[in-house]
Amino acid sequence: MNRFKAILERDLRKFIRNPLVVAMSVLMPVIYLVILGNSFQGELKRLPVAVVDQDNGPGAEKVMERLNALEAGPRTIETRKVSSQGFAMEGLKEGVFKGVIVIPPGFSRDLARGSVAEVGLFLDNAETIAAVAVQSSVTRAVSDLGREFVSVREERTAPHLRPIELYRKIDYDQTLIPGVVIMAIFLGAMTTGAFNIVMDRFLGVEESYFLTPLTKKDIVMGLVGSGLLITTIIAVVVLFLGSLISGIYLWSFIGIDTLLLILAVIVLSTLGLQGLMFVVMGRLNHPRIVGVLGGFLNVIFFFPSGAIYPVESFPAWLKAFAVVNPETYSVHALRALMFKGASLGAVKGDIVFLAVFAAVSVAAGTAAFKREL
Amino acid sequence: MYAIETENLVKKYGGLTALDGVSLKVPEGECFGLLGPNGAGKTTLIRILTTLIRPTSGRALVAGFDVAKEKASVRGAIGVVPQAMTSDLDLTGLELMDIYARFYDMGKKERRDRIDELLTMVGLRERAGDLVATYSGGMRRRLEIARGLVHRPSILILDEPTIGLDPQSRHVVWELLEKFRKADKLTILLTTHYMEEAESLSDHVAIIDYGRIVALDTVEGLKKQIPQKDTIELTVSNIDMGKAKEEVSAHSSVSSVAVNEATLIISVDNGANAIPELVDRLKSLGAKVTRVTLKEQTLEDVFIHFTGRPIREEEARKVSFLLGAGVPRQWGK
Repeated sequence: MNRFKAILERDLRKFIRNPLVVAMSVLMPVIYLVILGNSFQGELKRLPVAVVDQDNGPGAEKVMERLNALEAGPRTIETRKVSSQGFAMEGLKEGVFKGVIVIPPGFSRDLARGSVAEVGLFLDNAETIAAVAVQSSVTRAVSDLGREFVSVREERTAPHLRPIELYRKIDYDQTLIPGVVIMAIFLGAMTTGAFNIVMDRFLGVEESYFLTPLTKKDIVMGLVGSGLLITTIIAVVVLFLGSLISGIYLWSFIGIDTLLLILAVIVLSTLGLQGLMFVVMGRLNHPRIVGVLGGFLNVIFFFPSGAIYPVESFPAWLKAFAVVNPETYSVHALRALMFKGASLGAVKGDIVFLAVFAAVSVAAGTAAFKREL
Repeated sequence: MYAIETENLVKKYGGLTALDGVSLKVPEGECFGLLGPNGAGKTTLIRILTTLIRPTSGRALVAGFDVAKEKASVRGAIGVVPQAMTSDLDLTGLELMDIYARFYDMGKKERRDRIDELLTMVGLRERAGDLVATYSGGMRRRLEIARGLVHRPSILILDEPTIGLDPQSRHVVWELLEKFRKADKLTILLTTHYMEEAESLSDHVAIIDYGRIVALDTVEGLKKQIPQKDTIELTVSNIDMGKAKEEVSAHSSVSSVAVNEATLIISVDNGANAIPELVDRLKSLGAKVTRVTLKEQTLEDVFIHFTGRPIREEEARKVSFLLGAGVPRQWGK
C-alpha cells in the first residue's frame, strides 16, 4: 500500500507542477461544449436561400409571404431576392446560397387557373443536411398555395398533434453535456496513467523505478489511481462549468443520491478508460504515437456513443460497435441521471456494464504491462 | 562469499550476441571496475544483474539471490545508478528521495534520518527543496547516487556514473563513492570509459569486449600481463651515443634502448625506480643528462592491448520500419 501511495503521490506531484496541462484538461472539453453546442445546434438555422421572382404576380407574392413567415418563425432559412437567375446559380455553386428558388413567369396565372403551378428549387446537394432542411422548409412554404381560405375553426376531423415533453425543457447544447463530460474523461485518461509510463520511457526515467522492489501491480495501480483522481476531478469541474455555461443549473434540481450516481458513472468510466489506455499504450515508448492513437480512439468512442446522434439511427455495423462501446453506457447513464431524474434502477444496466468493463480493462492493462526493459 | 557471481552468462538479441558466456566473481566489500568499448556488453551485463532484462542462458547471483528467480530480493539488496539521468525533473530533491525510500517500504523516521544524512553527504541539503530541474548535471548525479543508497543496499551498481560530467564533478563523485564505500561497507560494481576512474577506484578490473571477459585482475596485475613497459627518454651530451646505449642496456630492468639523435628511448620495468640508477651510470661516464621524461604504463595501454583499436559497432537500436521508435521494443527490427 505504501508503494502504491508513493507512485500515486509521485504522479500527482508531477501533474500539479504543470498548471498549463491542468488548465487545458479542464478548458478543452468546455470549449468543445461551446463549439459543438453552437455548431450542431440540433435544428439548422439561417440557411441562405436566393429567390428569383420571374413572375412578379400575386402568386409569387404569396410564396414570398410564406417564405418570410418561415424566416421570422423557425428561422430555418434566410431569403434574399435576386433579380438574375444566373447570379443566383453562381452564388449557389460558390456556396453563398444553400438553395435557389425560381418562381417562373406565368406562375400566378397557373395558380389562379388551378392548373399545376411549379416553383423551381435548386439545391447544393453536396451539403446533404442543409439541402434536406431547405427542401423541407420550402415545401412547407409552397404547399396548399391554391387554397383561398383557411378555416377559422379547427377541422374536427383532422388529427391534431399535441407534443408533450416528459422532462423539463432541455436545449441542444445542454444535451451535449454528458458527451462533453465523457470526452473530458477520455482526454484525462489519455493524458494521465499509461501516458506517464510512455513519457517516463521516452525520457529514460522508468529504469530508475523498475530497479526498485515495486511490483507490476504497484506501478499500474498507482498510475491508474492518480489518473482516476485527476480525471474524476476534471470531469466534475467540466460538468459544473458545462452546466453553468449552458444554463442548466443541475445543483438546483439534482439530489444527493443522483449526484452520487453521477459520480459513480464518472469513476467507473474513468477506471475503464484508464485500464484500456494501459492495454493500448502500456508498451509504447514515444508520445507521438500516443497522440495519433489518442485522436483516433477519441473519435471512434465518442461519435458512436450517442452523445451527438441517437445510437438507434446508426447503421447496423455501427450500432453493433455502440453496444460494446463503454462511452455509450456512460452517456446514456449521465443523460438519464441529469435530465430524467432517473433512479439507480434505470441506470443499473449501464453501471453494471461500466463496472465489468473497468474490472476487465484494468486487469488486462496490468497483465499487458511489461515491468522490464 | 561473493557479492556478485555470474556463470557463463549469455544474452542474445536475435542474431546478435551481446553477452557471450560471462563468468566473474566480485568479493564482498570490493570495488570492481568493468571496462569495455561501446557495445562491448557492459550495460547488458548490468541490466541482467539489476533484473531489468533476462539472460538468455547462464546464471547470475547478486547478494546471494538468483537474478532470474528472486528478482524482488535482488532489487531490495542493490542500489543502482543508471547511465542516463533518471531523476524526475518535476520533483524536488527531497520529494524524490522520500518517494524512492517509500518504494522500499521504509518507515517515516528512518526515511527522514537517512535522507538527511545522504543529502548532507552529497552536499545537497541546502538545495533539497528545489526542483531537480534546477540542478546541474553534477548535482543530479550526486542526488542519484544518494537515491541509490537510500535503503542502505549492500551492493551499489553504477553504469558509467561520471559520463558527461566536468572534471571537478567527476572527482567529487569519486570522493563520494570512496566515502560511501567505507561508511556503508559497500560492494561497488561500476562500468566506466574513464581509465583514471577505474584505476583510482577499482580493486579489480575486468575488461569486456564483444560480450566476453578478456582480462580480469588488479590494475597492477593487468599491467604486468602486457608486453609494453614504461618508457624513459634521456637527453644526454658529452658522450658517444653508442657507448651510452651500451651502458644503459646493461641495466637489469631495461628491455630495449633506441637512439634518436641525442635522446635515448629506453623501455624499462618500473621506470620511476630505474631513472636514478640510469642517470648515475651515464654521469659516471662523464655524460651530462639535460632532460628526463618518464611515460608510465597506464590502464589505457592495457585496455588497448586487450581490445585493440577498431571502433565497435554498437547494438542497433530497435526501430520499426513503419512506425519509427514509438512502438513496443519487441516490434522493432
